[in-house]
Amino acid sequence: MYVCHCGLNIAAVVDVDATTAYAGTLPGVAVARDISYTCSESGQKAIQKDIEKYNLSRVVVASCSPRMHGDMFMKTCEMGGLNPYLFEMVNIREQCSWVHTDKEEATKKAKDLVRMAVKRAALLLPLEKQKSKVHRSALVVGGGVAGIFSALYLANAGIKTYLLEKTPSIGGHMAQLDKTFPTLDCSLCILSPKMADVGRHEAIELITYADIEDISGYAGNFHIRVRKNPRYVTEDCRLCGTCSEKCPVEVDDEFNVGMKKRKAVYIPFAQAVPNYYVIDPEHCLHLIKGGCKLCEKNCPTDAIDFDQKGEVVEFDVGAVILATGFQLYDASQKKEYGYDVYPNVITNLDFERLVSADGPTHGKVVRPSDNRPPKRIGFIQCVGSRDEKEGAVYCSRVCCMATIKQATMLREKYPEAEIYVYYIDMRTPGKDFEEFYQRSRDQGIVFIRGKPGEISEDKNHDLTIISEDTDSGLLLRNRLDLVVLACGLRPPEEIDDLAKMLHVSRSPDGFIMEAHPKLRPAETAIPGVYVTGCVQFPKDIPDTVAQAGAAAAVAAELLTKDEVELEPVRAFIDEDLCIGCGLCEFLCEYGAVEVGETDEGLKAHIIEVACQGCGVCAASCPKKAITVHHFTEDQLVAQLEGALEAQEGVV
Amino acid sequence: MKDFSPKIIGFMCNWCSYAGADLAGISRIKYAPNLRIIRVLCSGRVDPSIIVTAFEKGADGVLVTGCHPGDCHYISGNYQAERKVENTRKILKKAGVDERRLGLEWISAAEGARFAEVVNEFTELITNLGPLTVDLHKIKAAKEEASDFRLRWLVGREKDMLEKGNVFGEEVTKEDFEILMDNVIETQFVRNSILTALKKEPMSAKELAKKLGVPSDVVVQNLVQLARGQMVQIIEDHPIRYEVIPW
Repeated sequence: MYVCHCGLNIAAVVDVDATTAYAGTLPGVAVARDISYTCSESGQKAIQKDIEKYNLSRVVVASCSPRMHGDMFMKTCEMGGLNPYLFEMVNIREQCSWVHTDKEEATKKAKDLVRMAVKRAALLLPLEKQKSKVHRSALVVGGGVAGIFSALYLANAGIKTYLLEKTPSIGGHMAQLDKTFPTLDCSLCILSPKMADVGRHEAIELITYADIEDISGYAGNFHIRVRKNPRYVTEDCRLCGTCSEKCPVEVDDEFNVGMKKRKAVYIPFAQAVPNYYVIDPEHCLHLIKGGCKLCEKNCPTDAIDFDQKGEVVEFDVGAVILATGFQLYDASQKKEYGYDVYPNVITNLDFERLVSADGPTHGKVVRPSDNRPPKRIGFIQCVGSRDEKEGAVYCSRVCCMATIKQATMLREKYPEAEIYVYYIDMRTPGKDFEEFYQRSRDQGIVFIRGKPGEISEDKNHDLTIISEDTDSGLLLRNRLDLVVLACGLRPPEEIDDLAKMLHVSRSPDGFIMEAHPKLRPAETAIPGVYVTGCVQFPKDIPDTVAQAGAAAAVAAELLTKDEVELEPVRAFIDEDLCIGCGLCEFLCEYGAVEVGETDEGLKAHIIEVACQGCGVCAASCPKKAITVHHFTEDQLVAQLEGALEAQEGVV
Repeated sequence: MKDFSPKIIGFMCNWCSYAGADLAGISRIKYAPNLRIIRVLCSGRVDPSIIVTAFEKGADGVLVTGCHPGDCHYISGNYQAERKVENTRKILKKAGVDERRLGLEWISAAEGARFAEVVNEFTELITNLGPLTVDLHKIKAAKEEASDFRLRWLVGREKDMLEKGNVFGEEVTKEDFEILMDNVIETQFVRNSILTALKKEPMSAKELAKKLGVPSDVVVQNLVQLARGQMVQIIEDHPIRYEVIPW
C-alpha cells in the first residue's frame, strides 16, 4: 500500500502520514509507505523492490486518477513480476485533495477510499492479455490537408495506407483557399504537389467519391466496408473538356461555393486528384430520365461509361485516422447579418473564391449585386464562434488571421479602399502572426472593437452596419459596399456516424475528443483510432500538418508491432447457471454473445475479441450467470462494504 | 439532524462521469465530501441487486452516473442503466426506501462543474431526507426481487417490446409496459417476501399474512403459485406450514 504526497497536491489537504498509518492497520496490508512522488522512477522502483522483498501479491497506490497513471503503475507491477491486474489505484487527488478544503473530512475520505481499494484488491484475480495479429495497414478518412499528410507520412514509412475521400477529388478546404497566412503563398501551389504525391504513391490506395458503410473490429484488426460511387467516367479521360462543353445542364459549383456554375459532367477543379472528369448523377439528364448522352457521343477517348455501377469494397487495416475536417458555420443562421438575403454579404470562404484567380471573377473582388469594385469593405469576426446563442462558446482560431490575410490582399488590390474589421478580440498566436497583424494596421486597415448588432440594406444593395466601438464608447454607423462574415468552424456532419461506428467520444462542442488534451493530442480513447486536423478542433494549416505527423507516428507505433495485446476485462459466463435465454445476446451492442446448442442444452458463449467489457449483459442476466473480469459483483460489493464500514479508531 | 452527514455511494462510468469527476478536481471545483465513488466501465454494469446491497449495507443514498443519452461509450449502456434504475426505484419504494435516495444523472467528461453541482444537490437532498433506517426483512426481499428472473428479463426486453410488441405480436405502449412492470414488481415482491420469511422458518399462511402485513388470500394465492413453481412445499402438519425447497 503506497500513499502518494504528489508534492503538496495531495499532502496539503490530506494527512498522508495518518492515511499511511491507517492503511498499515488494514487486514492483508504487508507494507504501507508514503512516497513524495510515486510516479517518479524512484517511486516505481520502490514498489518493484517491495514486490520482490515481501513477495507482495497485491499492490495498491493511493495517488491521482487511474485515468492518469493507472496504466503506468500496472506496467510497474508487471515489470516487478506481479500480474498487472492485481494492482488497484485509489484516486485521492482529482477526487479528494483537489476538491475538498476541510483537512479532516478529506483525510477521512482518503482513508475510506483506501479501505475500499484494499478490500477490492484482496478479491482481484490475475488476468492474462490475449494477443492478436496486427494488420500492417491504415485507413485515413478524409482527403484534406490533414488526411493527405497523414497518408503520406505513413506510406513513406512503408505502411500500406488507404486514403478515403467522399468527394470526387482530394484537396479539402485548403484547395479552395487562394492564399495562406501569414506568408501569402498560394494555397494550391503548395498543396497540389502533395496531392500528386498521394495519387502516384505506391503504398497509398486512393479511394475517392466513396462513403464508409461500416467499421468493425479493434486495434490492429479493423474491418472496413466502403461504398464506391460510380464516376461514369473512366481513367481514359484526357481532360479535353469536350464533354463539359456539350453538357446542357448547369448547376451550382460546390468548389466555388455556388458563386459559379458547373456542368453535370465536370472536374471539381483543374488540379483535382484523381485528375479526370466525373458525372453528377443527381443532375445528369441521362441518369435522371434517359436520353441526352451528349458527353458520350462527343468524348474523343470513349471515356464515358454509363454502365458503371457502385461497388462495395472491403479490406482490413490495423489503424484508423480520422481527418474529416470541418464544415463552415452556416451564416444564414445569423439572421441579423442577412446572408442569403443581401447579395453583398458574403462569407470568408466566398471571399476566398472571389479573390482566387480561377474563381468566378478570375480574382477580381467585386460586389455580387452589380459587379462593381467595392470602395468600403467590412469584415465581421466571430460569426458563429464565441457565441453561446449560436451554440459555440469556443474560438475558431483561424478566422482572425484569415481576415487579416483577406484585408491585406484587398489592400493590395484597392489601395484607396476603406477597410474595417469588427472584432471582439484579435487573436494572433502563431509564428509571424502578430507581425502580420501589425503590418495590416500600418496599411491603414481599421480595426473596430465591437460586434455589429445588425446589417441593413438599401435599394442599391448598399449596406449599413450599426456597431458600438467599445474603445471610444461611440455608436458607429457605417455605410459599406461589401461585408465579409468571418464564419467559424464547426464539426462536419458525417462525423456523427463515424464516431458511433468507432465508439469515439466527442467534446461538448461536437469535435472528436482526444485521449488526453496535452499528452495524447492525436489519439482518441479508442486504441487504434487516431485523429488529426479540424475534426479534433479548429486549427490552421501548420498545426494540422504537425498533428497529421503526430497521428501518423502514433499509428505507426501500433502498426510496426507484430501483435497487439487485447484488454482482458471481458464478460464470462458460468455455463452451469446459464439457461440460454438469450437476453445477453439481444442486449450486446457488439455481437459479442452467441447462444448455441451444447450437450447441456442452450448456452450463451462470449466471443472474446468482440467483447468490450461494458458489463451490460452481466447486470441484466436474469440468472446472474454472467460477470465481468475485474468488475465482478463480489469486487464491487467489497468496495461497497469498505465504503460503508465504520472506521475504527479514526480521527 | 444538523450533524447528520450522509453516506453516499456513487457508481460512475469510466468514460464520461468518472472523467467528469476528475475534471472537477483538475479545475479545483469544491464539493461535498460525502460521496464514495466506485468506478465501473459503464453505468450499464450497475446491477440492481448491487444497488439494493448498498442500501442494505448502510448507504443513505446511491448515485449512478453515466454518459449523456446518445454519447454512451458502449452505445446503449446508459439506456440500460436508466431502465434498471427506474425499476430499482420501484422495488426500493416497496421496501420502504424513498426512491429519491437512488439518483441517476448524465455527466460528460467535459462537465466538471456540473459534476460538482450534481454531487452537492444530491448530498443536500439525502441530508434533508435524513438517515435511512431499513427494515432488514424488506430490504432482503428487495434484494431477492432485484435478482428475480422475471423482472430482470422484462427490464432487459423493454425496448424491444415497446418497439416490436410482445411475443403475441400485440402492440405494447409505454403505459401498458409500466402497468405490467408494476404488477410484476407487486407480485414478485410479495413472493420474495414470503420466500425470505420462509427461509428463516416454516410458517403457515396465516402467520405469513400477519408478519408481512399482506391479506391472507393474497398470501395463499402466491403460496399456490410458488408451490407450482417448486419453490415452496407444504409440511403436512397441523396447522399446514410451508417451507422453502432448497436448490
